[in-house]
Amino acid sequence: MLNHAEASEKFIADAERTTWHDETLWFVRSKRDKVSKLLPEWEELREQASSIKDHTLANLAQYLEKFEAQAQANGIIIHWAKDALEHNQIVHSITAKHGGKALVKSKSMLTEECHLNDYLIKQGIEVVDTDLGERIVQFRNEAPSHIVLPAIHLKREDVGETFHEFLGTPKGNKDPQFLTEAARQHLRGHFLAADVAITGVNFAIAETGEFVVCTNEGNADMGAHLSKVHIACMGLEKILPQRKDLGVFLRLLARSATGQLITTYSSHFVRPRPGQEMHIVIVNNGRTRQLARPEFRNSLKCIRCAACFNTCPVYRRSGGHSYHQPVAGPIGSILAPNFDKASNVDLPFASTLCGSCSNVCPVKINIHEQLWLWRQDLMKDGLAPAVKSFSMKGMAFVLSSPKIFRLAGFFGRTIMRYMPFLVNNSLNPWSKQREMPKPPKESFQDWYKNRK
Amino acid sequence: MSSRSEIFKALHEMEPREIAHPGDFNHFTHSKDVKADFLNSMAIVGAQVLEVSNTSEANLQLDQFFPGMIRYDSMAVVEKGLDLEEVDVLEIKGEFGVSENGAIWLTENNLPNRVAPFICQHLVIYLSKNELVGTMHEAYDRLGDSNYGFGLFLSGPSKTADIEQSLVIGAHGARSLLVILI
Repeated sequence: MLNHAEASEKFIADAERTTWHDETLWFVRSKRDKVSKLLPEWEELREQASSIKDHTLANLAQYLEKFEAQAQANGIIIHWAKDALEHNQIVHSITAKHGGKALVKSKSMLTEECHLNDYLIKQGIEVVDTDLGERIVQFRNEAPSHIVLPAIHLKREDVGETFHEFLGTPKGNKDPQFLTEAARQHLRGHFLAADVAITGVNFAIAETGEFVVCTNEGNADMGAHLSKVHIACMGLEKILPQRKDLGVFLRLLARSATGQLITTYSSHFVRPRPGQEMHIVIVNNGRTRQLARPEFRNSLKCIRCAACFNTCPVYRRSGGHSYHQPVAGPIGSILAPNFDKASNVDLPFASTLCGSCSNVCPVKINIHEQLWLWRQDLMKDGLAPAVKSFSMKGMAFVLSSPKIFRLAGFFGRTIMRYMPFLVNNSLNPWSKQREMPKPPKESFQDWYKNRK
Repeated sequence: MSSRSEIFKALHEMEPREIAHPGDFNHFTHSKDVKADFLNSMAIVGAQVLEVSNTSEANLQLDQFFPGMIRYDSMAVVEKGLDLEEVDVLEIKGEFGVSENGAIWLTENNLPNRVAPFICQHLVIYLSKNELVGTMHEAYDRLGDSNYGFGLFLSGPSKTADIEQSLVIGAHGARSLLVILI
């Protein structure tokens, strides 16, 4: 597996495409700015959402119990999964019990996290992702590169090619309207034939036992209302105490995500329809571990809007796949080390720590501070790459004594002036794609002493 | 130990933290003109609005909007959602609208089947102009603890921008939304 820096290098090899990716996501961020500024109470709303989540996470056991009891009273079957495998097994056993062979699935980052598709396909079940972006990447055997815009790494030509290959659309046709229509027709067939529908959960309400699913396309509802069995999969942090808390979160979610006022559909599922079976799988998969870490627990406040992706100067210029995790971007980089430190050691370093992510986060997660804390945690565990540990130790040595510092400064200036090839070469990662700066003639200290 | 007990054990083992719920959100801006705001939101979300004084006036205009199409306005329960697949135009009644975002609240009591507003090609919602609230906070205040099996806020026609961020109206749900404001 390539680490973030190596994968990014591949991504930015196509300069034109990188610029397009960067500008397109920045445009989404600008739309978010525009609609959020139309609400004078925007900052108070963020504060409210953050406080509700803090309260909920501090009382999670109580609210999960209440949610379970209410949902069961509403006729929903509740399952608990300790990890990804158990989640997948539960979904499979429900499907198998109904003799299900075909399954439609709307967007759920949790099922990506659990690699549900791979698991079910191995069991001989056909899984069709019904969100347009997810269907496109599923055809291409790729992972989504963005949690809200799964195919943002692709251009219309790529989608045209993919649909030509899999749906038989005319070669060379790359009109989004035409391609979307082709997907609509293709997926309608699957909706009508599916035995089981899987959806994610945006919010689950302890007070009423209902859950809310937000989409723009209507794919979650098409699946859920037509199938005999509806399975909703949720991480255990998706709980909100009461129905009216939704007022706060539905105002923030779409505005933060895409700059829309609200998603087209905000569906509230309370009871199964007559003759239908409704299941909820509540998944831990490391969440209680994260919750027990005071400095990282509030990463679980995330509502998956991806505002931090769209604003991140690193994400915009490196693409989602370089993060090698289902949830990429800044939030993904603070969630990933909880799953496995060793294989995600690169992610907290994939940031400039500029803090823009924390500034746009609708639930006020201190993302950039947690990135910095994870760096320390990973270094302490001895997981940082040898080069990084070595150079940090070197830096500590130089900075520990004023004499050594001055000497190092002198050598640095001299070498850069007379032997620039020693720093402008491929051994120095800083000189990739950029010129080293001109060295100053004297140090600040010399200048200060000699000033008239 | 079952996974359920394992999860609750882990949660109970954490140090208790007393953090109060912040209470109701009362800082929101009150709309000065809910109808004007609603019309503005409708334009943003890509819905059309027809203002009429009564239902029969709307009927005449609907024929022009949807020439030669099958219009379906029965509220009788249709058990199999698939039976609605051929519906071109579905006409339903909305409970109330939210002016800040154009969302209209529907429950399954307003629908022949839960899938109806998604599976139809075009959607027409009748809404009283006296049934508009300003914000989502007021919307949930109005819902209170009302008991529905399925309910939804619907704002505009279905849409996607998954191909190169270019907006396409008509993804999986209705291709158009016409709101008849009475």
